[in-house]
Amino acid sequence: MNRRAASGPAARRGALACLAAFAALACAPPQDLLVASAVSLREPMVEIAARFVDLEPGIPLTLTFGASSVIAAQIRAGAPVDVFVSADDRIVDRLVADGLVADADRYPLARNRLVVIAGAGLMPPPQRAEDLLDPRVRRVAIAAEAVPAGRYARAWLRRRGLFEALHLRLIATEHARATVAAVDAGHAEVAIVYATDAHLARSARVAFPVPDAEQPRIVYTAARLRAARRPERAARLLRFLRGDEAARVLSAAGFAGPTG
Amino acid sequence: VSVETILEITALTLRVAAVATLAVLPPALALAYLLARVSFPGKALVQAVVGLPMVLPPVAVGLALLLLLGPRGPLSGLWSALSVDVAFTWWAAAIAAAVVGFPLVVRSCEQAFAGVDVRYEQVARSLGHGRARTFLRVTLPLAHRGVLYGALLGFTRALGEFGATAVVAGILPGRTETLSLGIYARIRLGDDDAALALCAASFALALASMLLAEGWLRRGAR
Repeated sequence: MNRRAASGPAARRGALACLAAFAALACAPPQDLLVASAVSLREPMVEIAARFVDLEPGIPLTLTFGASSVIAAQIRAGAPVDVFVSADDRIVDRLVADGLVADADRYPLARNRLVVIAGAGLMPPPQRAEDLLDPRVRRVAIAAEAVPAGRYARAWLRRRGLFEALHLRLIATEHARATVAAVDAGHAEVAIVYATDAHLARSARVAFPVPDAEQPRIVYTAARLRAARRPERAARLLRFLRGDEAARVLSAAGFAGPTG
Repeated sequence: VSVETILEITALTLRVAAVATLAVLPPALALAYLLARVSFPGKALVQAVVGLPMVLPPVAVGLALLLLLGPRGPLSGLWSALSVDVAFTWWAAAIAAAVVGFPLVVRSCEQAFAGVDVRYEQVARSLGHGRARTFLRVTLPLAHRGVLYGALLGFTRALGEFGATAVVAGILPGRTETLSLGIYARIRLGDDDAALALCAASFALALASMLLAEGWLRRGAR
């Protein structure tokens, strides 16, 4: 009886403590501007965001990186993204067509190129596209089909007529950076990646660039979302992204200008 | 990664798991008590449905939640009326963790309640306690070990939740990036050192909660 009499109020106290804890934990974090970007722009975007916040203090920026196709799918599913930088302008075209981005709120930002990288263990490294058929190349890493980097790489392999032959050796990765990581980690001997990502590899080296005449058109596009929670701040960031300072950061990271 | 980032991610993980556990407890207790005490037609079906989130692939649960909570889902009118976002916020992460952990809590509590002799409740009722009072003052205290254990199971499941969370909350640093999502994102980036650092934080968190729970249960057993 004693025990029961004691645990009654204790249970109520416990319930009250739980409620208080719940209320304290449930307070939403402060608002920020959510910038979702193609993962291949990771380092320059971090740099550009830092410079932007230095120049125009205010609402903080949260950066998230991933495959542009995945980010676009999340935006369609309701992710509260304010600014989106895609590695493929066609992904933004579709967002415009679906009314999620106003046509006036998108700008080409930079261009990129494809190269073939090879792991340090593959000696001599391949010199041209046909060398990828070498039996020592057991696995070729490229990004998944829906991912821009994967689409570009597939387009090039098809153009060279190598896609069918290499088909069974392809391993599909989640995004551009994971493709580089796959070679660094030894999961693949060779990968087709962005020139800008190839420099960031730990052990893999550029084997050869995709020839100029065969380069796919790779145009990065920045856009403000119609549903942006902070439209003013988003517009300012977009303006900064198109400015000279951002262009210098992108160029230092190996990206070409948006036109030409 | 900086220590600051690790602490931030750990704090978010704890918050998501704590909110999920606290939110799940009241309905789980009610349902568990019902299942332990009342027999009704279709009870087996209810039990099976309650267990579903535990056996379904977590990504499938995540997709169902995304369709339910997203801007085109049936609740979208409610969200815009309240002008809140749920999908891709830490609320979504907490909801995912709660849904996936719910069956664990219910199962454990149901067994705990079933272990409480009905006669104690009958005595309390005969002495003039109402149903709610009897539950709070007799059944719950007698079953508290199983209930705590269930809450702990739900909490630890929430700490590690990945599949459903990744789909419905995305991996947004500072917003929805919990330890398991952060580890995954860094593995994909080839940043194994950062992934390992987050694994270490995960390990510390898991060990701490298990030790805490052991101590708690032992103290309760006295």
